[in-house]
Amino acid sequence: MKKSFKSFAKHYMNYAVIAAVMLIFTILALATPMKASTSLLFQKITVAVIMAVSLSLVVGFLGELSLGHAGFMSIGAYLGGKIALVIIEGGDLEASNILVFVLALVIGAACAALCGFIVGFAALRLRGDYLAIVTLAFGEIVRVIFTNTSSESFGGALGLKSPSFSMKKTYILVIIGFVLILFTLFVIQNLLRSKAGRAITAIRDNEIAAKATGINVTKHKLMVFVISAAFAGVAGVLFSYANSPIKADTFDFNYSIEILVMVVLGGMGSINGSIISATLITILNDKLTVYLSGDNAVFKDLFYALILILIIIYNNAPALKGFREKYNLRNLVNKIIKPKHDPSAVRDDAARWDVVPTKIEMNEVLSTDLVIDKVGRGDDSADIRERGGNK
Amino acid sequence: MEFITMIINGLSIGGTYAMIALGYTMVYGIAKMLNFAHGDIIMVGGYTIVLFFPISPILGIIASVIFCVTVGIVVEKTAYKPLRGASPLAVLITAIGVSKLLQSAAQIFIGSESKGVTVNLGEIRMGEIKINVLTLITIACSAAVMVALTLFVKYTKTGRAMVAVSEDRGAAQLMGINVNFIIMITFIIGSALAAVAGVFLVFKIQDVGTTFGAMPGIKAFAAAVIGGIGSIPGAMVGGLVLGFIEAVCGMVPALSPYTDAIEFAILIIVLLVKPTGFLGKKRREKV
Amino acid sequence: MKKTIMKIMCLVLVVVMATLCFAACGNEVNYAENNTTIKIGVSGPLSGGAAMYGIAVQNSAQLAIDEINAAGGINGVMLELVAKDDKHDPTQVSTTYTALYEGGCQLFLGTVTTAPGLQFKQYALEDGIFYLTPSASGDDISSKDGGFQMCFADSNQGTASAQYFNTNYAGKKVGIFYKADDDYSVGIKNNFVANLNSSFGTPVEASFTGDASQFDSQIALLKTCDVIFMPIYYTPASQFMRQGATDIKADAIYFGCDGFDGIDAVDGFDIDTISQEVSYLSHFDSTSTTGPAADYINAYKTKYPNAPLNQFGAAAYDCVYAMVDALKASGEEITATMSAQDFAEILMDQFAGDFVFHGVTGECVNGEKSTISWNDDGTVNKKAVKYVVKQKS
Repeated sequence: MKKSFKSFAKHYMNYAVIAAVMLIFTILALATPMKASTSLLFQKITVAVIMAVSLSLVVGFLGELSLGHAGFMSIGAYLGGKIALVIIEGGDLEASNILVFVLALVIGAACAALCGFIVGFAALRLRGDYLAIVTLAFGEIVRVIFTNTSSESFGGALGLKSPSFSMKKTYILVIIGFVLILFTLFVIQNLLRSKAGRAITAIRDNEIAAKATGINVTKHKLMVFVISAAFAGVAGVLFSYANSPIKADTFDFNYSIEILVMVVLGGMGSINGSIISATLITILNDKLTVYLSGDNAVFKDLFYALILILIIIYNNAPALKGFREKYNLRNLVNKIIKPKHDPSAVRDDAARWDVVPTKIEMNEVLSTDLVIDKVGRGDDSADIRERGGNK
Repeated sequence: MEFITMIINGLSIGGTYAMIALGYTMVYGIAKMLNFAHGDIIMVGGYTIVLFFPISPILGIIASVIFCVTVGIVVEKTAYKPLRGASPLAVLITAIGVSKLLQSAAQIFIGSESKGVTVNLGEIRMGEIKINVLTLITIACSAAVMVALTLFVKYTKTGRAMVAVSEDRGAAQLMGINVNFIIMITFIIGSALAAVAGVFLVFKIQDVGTTFGAMPGIKAFAAAVIGGIGSIPGAMVGGLVLGFIEAVCGMVPALSPYTDAIEFAILIIVLLVKPTGFLGKKRREKV
Repeated sequence: MKKTIMKIMCLVLVVVMATLCFAACGNEVNYAENNTTIKIGVSGPLSGGAAMYGIAVQNSAQLAIDEINAAGGINGVMLELVAKDDKHDPTQVSTTYTALYEGGCQLFLGTVTTAPGLQFKQYALEDGIFYLTPSASGDDISSKDGGFQMCFADSNQGTASAQYFNTNYAGKKVGIFYKADDDYSVGIKNNFVANLNSSFGTPVEASFTGDASQFDSQIALLKTCDVIFMPIYYTPASQFMRQGATDIKADAIYFGCDGFDGIDAVDGFDIDTISQEVSYLSHFDSTSTTGPAADYINAYKTKYPNAPLNQFGAAAYDCVYAMVDALKASGEEITATMSAQDFAEILMDQFAGDFVFHGVTGECVNGEKSTISWNDDGTVNKKAVKYVVKQKS
């Protein structure tokens, strides 16, 4: 029983935490008149978290850099918003009609997924820098096209006057946002914990070797791009319901970079890290907008840029390898929490994608198996493998 | 008539892009990295020329070249050098960080209001065709730079060392070439070219903001990729291709809002059909 | 273990259902109950390309507030300005608006520019507050439920400009250069085109979007025009003028709207280097040397010698005075702890009623202050002046 609880805590902790936050939020929203700023902030956080988690799938697990993630969001926002608008106007419905919203979500996600499929095809032929530039180009193309649509179709450069929840009902949007985060996590984490997830990380670590072992690279790459784009589309629909009008310029290259920063700061290949950093960065952005004004607001960007560079150098510089292995947060935490040597403790692979975190050091597996007084050994080694695949 | 204007415009825009693209392509060929901050070096050059222009235009050009080269070296030494040998993705993200860093630093030091400068070199009339002198200078200068660079790479010791490093870094090192020095030289040349391109862009647009170099930078990168990244003639070809696309789109009102989209779409198509670009070399991937 | 997940999932679903079933039951909170001064809030671009407007509005509002406070405030209650930076970006307004409203602001100058103003309006109407915007000129900004404008609405600017063209520029070839992704620019342009005499034929239209700074193709389209109507802000306008200095007809006229104000102060742009005439219709002449306008300009220059001076600032100065005058005229007792909604009620009665304000914007005849009144729908009534920035040379 204790065992299963441990395993539960490890695998489902993030669901539990998010559900708890959602519950507290709901109770607060219903019990007391919540400040509009709070619910609007939560709304921004939910969008950012879904974006970060979905980008994390491409960048952290497939190991390809996408610089056009905002483009997928834009597609979801525009098409989902437009469909909702047409239905609401046609049927003379309330803007906050949940069924319409769900339909918009499905359509927005589907359209974004279709675009993800197309970009995924590019990913089959190209890797690394080239693919990054193709995604960038994709994002820009989407932006230019939506900016130049006619005012009847997508509002053109003036933006689409998407249906929106009123400010006082934003909390409903937040709750839906939380549910969508849980759904995103459910899909993506289960994907990563499945056979496909192992295949995806294997492709990241060495595509040719993965191909040689019989992994269907085409299928898995397309799968990642489609799923990631679909969730960006979901975030887009959420965004289009919270902001009216929505403008194509919002989803520009800079926004893609902002999401990338969230993923990198959270630790590449760590879903929980992405969630935490997306939350913190969104809160920080919001608070700094209130307190910093004028050209001082730029210090925020300067700070992010510096942090980004320092983290990447710290995590990747070949010269710092020894230093890194000796002093890192995880070792420190492990020292405090688990003073004894625990072979099942995972190495600091969370922020690295150039090493192979899927590999299990043989002697450690052996030593785990050799601990006689442990109950349920088979379970334990399975745990190691699973953890390896996810961290 | 319109056709001739279009060709001249295309040459001038293409020449500017080609100069920026040369910086990209050389750095990619030799350091094997995408210097995303290259566009922001243009911005640095642009601000420098605007600041120095009232004193003396020539001094301004020299100052902007010197300043850009300094920034280029500093960026290379502090941000890129520690990552030599790390994964390309890490280097690319760092380069994006540097790009943002330069933009926000510029905004802090100079302010977000764009700075303007008025340059009017007059124009030459040939029958009904009016050609801006600046356009002619841009074309002449970019042509001269390309010829000089080709000669430099072909006939000087350093140039040949650069070719060697781009072919095989390890082997070049074994032959006694100081790879770090060569990479630094590459960054110096790239930054100097960016400074010159920045000067021409400023003279043309007559206005500099903090994101001034971002779009020309990205487009020049597209030019480098279309021409085949790592190849010097490729950068020129790519730059001219984009220049002509832009000139044609500028002539057709229906297309002009979509100029960027068309350029990027062509980039994607070229990459999908011929991933190495027009003149790029094919590299076999090994395990 | 699976049962536990199922339980949690069920719980989540129940909570969601419950939430969706209950309507919000919030009662109004008075965020101003701890105020010691009356707070006036404004959201505007204090950084970025349109910062010149936001800063002028901020300074001028501060100037007006200082003058009012020095004269004893509103029956002894002092005023205080709170300005937030929205970077001329609608997505920032959710932050700036809530920071202002929840920060205890009671009187609102709305936003400085139009695009963020549309989002601001949505929030403001929901909270039932009143705003008098100095310069957000979009047609949709004003509202009979509490949104008033000090500047001319776009439709009026476009219409007024078209009428000016009809009487003064008959027979000339008209071109339009506008920003296609800006509500302000498109709003004026559409009204201008609709009201232009048919004798002009179809005007040549050229547009740009975003932060474009290269206008080769637009210049090529417009180079044969005699009068170019430019309902855009000064930054792109100055870039266009510089790049088109030789290609555009030397005797052409650049005719702008209130966004042109400040074009002669753009950094690095010496307006005398272009040969074309630059002028615009406006409600304030920032080169005035006599009358109330000059008094404002002198006071502003003394206090902020290096800050941008333009009609946006003058309008903000008038806005503060108008709201204060309206509060005084209402005869109600004003305290610092009244809620924004209480203020809104008083101000609505005044502005939608017969309230007439005398200010520095609009046509000031014989050194007298101008007469400004408002329609029920929130638009302003006052006389415009044609303002020539630079004669052709």
